[in-house]
Amino acid sequence: MADPPLTAALASLNALAGGLFLLTAFAIVATRQTRGCLQLFIVQSLLLAASAFILGAEYQSLHLVAVGAVNLISKPIVIPWILRRTLSAEVYARREIDQVLNIPTSLLIALALAVLAYFLTLPVLSAVAPQFRSANVPIGLAGLLLGAYTLAVRREAVPMLVGILAMENGAFFAGIALSRDLPLIVELAIASDGLVLVFVTGVLVRAIQQRIGSTRVGELVSLREQVPGAGATSTEEAA
Amino acid sequence: MTLPAMLLLPLLAAVLSAVPRMRFVAPGVTVVSSVAVLSLASATALRVASGTTVFALRGVLSVDGLSALIVWLVSLVGTTAAVYSSGYMARTCAARPRRLGLYYANYNLFVFAMLAIPMVVEPTLVWIFVELTTLSSALLVSFENTQEALEAAWKYVGLSLMGAAIALLGFLVLFSALQAAGGEPYTWEGLVKAAPRMPPALLKAAFVLIIVGLGTKVGLVPLHTWLPDAHSQAPSPVCALLSGIETTSVLYVILRLLPMLDAALLPEMRDWVVIFGLISVGVAAFLILQVRDYKRLFAFSTVEHMGIILVAAGLASQAAHYGAMYQILSHTVTKSFCFFAAGAAVLTVTTRNIAAVRGLVRRSPAAAASLLLAGLAIAGAPPLAVFLSEFLILKAGIYEGRYVVVGLLTLFIAIAFFGVLLHINRMVFGRPSSETFQAQALGSHATAAAISDTLPRSCELILLVAGALVIVLGVYLPGPLHELLRLASDTLHR
Amino acid sequence: MLYRILANVLQVLVILLLSPLVTGVLNRLKEIVQSKRGPSIFQPYRDLWKLFHKDQVLSERSSWIFRVTPYIVFVTPIFVALLIPVLTAHPLFLAFMADMVGVGFVLALGGFFAALGAVDTGNPYGPMGASRTRMVGFLAEPVFVIVFFTVSFVAGSTIPYIVQKHWIASPAAFLEPAHVLLLAAFFMLILAEAGRIPVDSASGHFELAMIEESKSLEYSGSGAALMKWGGHMKLLVLMCVFLNVLVTPWGLAVEQRATQVLLAIPLVAVKVLLFVLALVIIESSLAKLRLFRISEFLGAAFITCVAAMIARLFTA
Repeated sequence: MADPPLTAALASLNALAGGLFLLTAFAIVATRQTRGCLQLFIVQSLLLAASAFILGAEYQSLHLVAVGAVNLISKPIVIPWILRRTLSAEVYARREIDQVLNIPTSLLIALALAVLAYFLTLPVLSAVAPQFRSANVPIGLAGLLLGAYTLAVRREAVPMLVGILAMENGAFFAGIALSRDLPLIVELAIASDGLVLVFVTGVLVRAIQQRIGSTRVGELVSLREQVPGAGATSTEEAA
Repeated sequence: MTLPAMLLLPLLAAVLSAVPRMRFVAPGVTVVSSVAVLSLASATALRVASGTTVFALRGVLSVDGLSALIVWLVSLVGTTAAVYSSGYMARTCAARPRRLGLYYANYNLFVFAMLAIPMVVEPTLVWIFVELTTLSSALLVSFENTQEALEAAWKYVGLSLMGAAIALLGFLVLFSALQAAGGEPYTWEGLVKAAPRMPPALLKAAFVLIIVGLGTKVGLVPLHTWLPDAHSQAPSPVCALLSGIETTSVLYVILRLLPMLDAALLPEMRDWVVIFGLISVGVAAFLILQVRDYKRLFAFSTVEHMGIILVAAGLASQAAHYGAMYQILSHTVTKSFCFFAAGAAVLTVTTRNIAAVRGLVRRSPAAAASLLLAGLAIAGAPPLAVFLSEFLILKAGIYEGRYVVVGLLTLFIAIAFFGVLLHINRMVFGRPSSETFQAQALGSHATAAAISDTLPRSCELILLVAGALVIVLGVYLPGPLHELLRLASDTLHR
Repeated sequence: MLYRILANVLQVLVILLLSPLVTGVLNRLKEIVQSKRGPSIFQPYRDLWKLFHKDQVLSERSSWIFRVTPYIVFVTPIFVALLIPVLTAHPLFLAFMADMVGVGFVLALGGFFAALGAVDTGNPYGPMGASRTRMVGFLAEPVFVIVFFTVSFVAGSTIPYIVQKHWIASPAAFLEPAHVLLLAAFFMLILAEAGRIPVDSASGHFELAMIEESKSLEYSGSGAALMKWGGHMKLLVLMCVFLNVLVTPWGLAVEQRATQVLLAIPLVAVKVLLFVLALVIIESSLAKLRLFRISEFLGAAFITCVAAMIARLFTA
């Protein structure tokens, strides 16, 4: 353990990274521009890497520093590159005019979710040893819930994808505080899995874009049971 | 060497299929590798049933009773679906042969990931392979490239990845619980051994997160909304894989957590498992009554059976766990046969609408017979396999004294039985309507030549083999298989 | 004793005399960024001098509110100047008369009378601007309250001098997430209250789009001069609160010596210049928000300061 004043400063810096992480999670719920969403995700990944580095310095764990480095390379750099290659350029110019709820209401619900996350992690925090207690766990869970909320409330495909990636960021943010000695090979595998995820989803979005002409996937709601008595029409449309 | 070989073969087949020039041999390569994997898996299952634990790398790849069962089932369905695909995809993909390579590459990757899930013993690596199944099947679900298929694929990917992220946090919390409990390795066995010393709050939190996250992928209500869409829009052999064995493999991961709860003296969590299962069975049973599409019918039936397995695993007695294992076996064999039959019907009438398909028995007797048998089998009619396993579960529940659970379960199974038979009966018998001749074409790949009354040879072969298996398993369980089921059920209540 | 009177008077004089200069520098820099020459930085002084030498024209239909408003708008920032740390780090004579909530109320008093005065004349643009200002005001209220609440929760008091001492204590306290997020939220609040981009365009002439400016359209002569000067002072006062209490609480006079107080003046001027630069960059790169989007802007500010409070709760 480092000496106390340094520890206090590092703890403060870590809390700062956590606070900004939470802020980016809120912003991902509310941003209109697709490009803005991606940039916020990059900022969030940088904050995750920063928190990993700070925790590594605080607990003198080379392993955490390595985790931070892996995240620093894969998320802010490689993932946007993959997305640029798989998605067509016009997807980046999209703006989402409306969401399922209007933005101030969305933000208020997101706020309620963040407070809920705090209360949900209280029993977990009291069960772990003192050196594992930090702001990371509640903020990570809040990031997870807010990412899921983004998925629910948005209509465009790329913000939904960013929501999924933000959920993983949140899970990781809590994970670097809770499970510090996870083998590095596992961390590398999870990171590369994230890259494959982005690739496959990018290809799928491109297919949707080519077939339907837009990426407003929230409006694809044709697959459901028909109301009885609507006649013996087939449930699928012709090609 | 067996285990790495079983993993490398599908990978190799995937790489070969992906090479553009090799796409004409892709079906053959896939079939060959699937048969090889099936033989290796059968050998492994026999060894496990005779009492040894097979491992390749201690702590990384290892197979015990439950794993061996799942591995064998994956390889079985993988083989039958591969043979079926060679005929089915050749018929539906006649206009666009270039996409076949993509199909087989993803198919083999999918099988590889599903084989790895039971073999790997470290939970986070298992999570990675669960994600890999989602990613490799995403492009398979959207293969037909219609608007509905793409919508189904998007819902599938979105919800599955959301569940996977939640499950990731659950696994990380589980790891920290393990660290708090002492120096066991992070494997399923190590977790069970360390469970008594784990802080209960952490274990409970991890369990809730994992069951919510992976439950999305299994199709537990209320996170099941993607399942009917994805499992009906995909091409039929893929549906057989998805419904038959993929949801079961993810359920396997949840089942691995149950002995930990017992070891940590948290028996009340098992009640939650039973409740989750019952909700899924109930909702699925009611939803079966109002489907309009027969592949969706089978997909809802998958939700129902996943619920039944979960209920059986949540009950405390050994007989119930044996019933759960038997249900896994019978469901896999039967559901894959259901989708093969559905695929045959699709090839014959090119529509999935129940109301538009009438009098199938006059159009194609083979398709009609298999569809009827499939419907009877999956609904749980005696003397077929599913009836036997459900009966075992209900009997075990009565002996244990859980009358409410058994009563509700019987009610829901009866409702589902009624629903499935109603729809199948309407489809198979009845006067053929003239609409079927003007039915909308299936996707952009079907041409007029696809509407024919003869099925491809390989499809007929598989229908015969799978149908025979369904009938045989209802009356006869080979000795090693029984032993394997018993060993598998042992892992549920250590 | 002499020192305390001197320091107080100096503080008020600085606010009074330097505020038009701040606005002049802001306008000149904005024009330079847009590749124009811009007016001289002393132009606001000349405008005020010109206006004071003109006659006032008062509408017969207006009431005493219209006549009283310029004086109130002029006096309230001066009153606030007595309460906040402008040059000194230690509390002065009247510093405990009111805390930051009181500062907010006093400034709101000025805004209240300005809005009433705008409605008083019957000119159509006045009430339009007044109602829009009220909308922005009431959306900004929750942000104000939460900001002050968080500040008092963190620093233990709402008196600006005491709050300032808390942030100055150590780098750890300065880098607290609550602090950084509060900075962001308060900055957005200043943009809303002072009527700058992205909430309102301060240099626009199109009456239908005005929010702040239309309140002072009807005034002339010394009334207009007092309204303008009051506006300049309000901006400088808000800047002082932001800079001296939250962002850069250094550079103020610590001991009770006249030389230190005089030295603080150029230091505060440097800080204000940096803030003006930041403001110019924002004004030149963002566009004005549509009226209905202002609620989203202030909603974002609200979320930021609630995030600050949550971050404080999580780390405590």
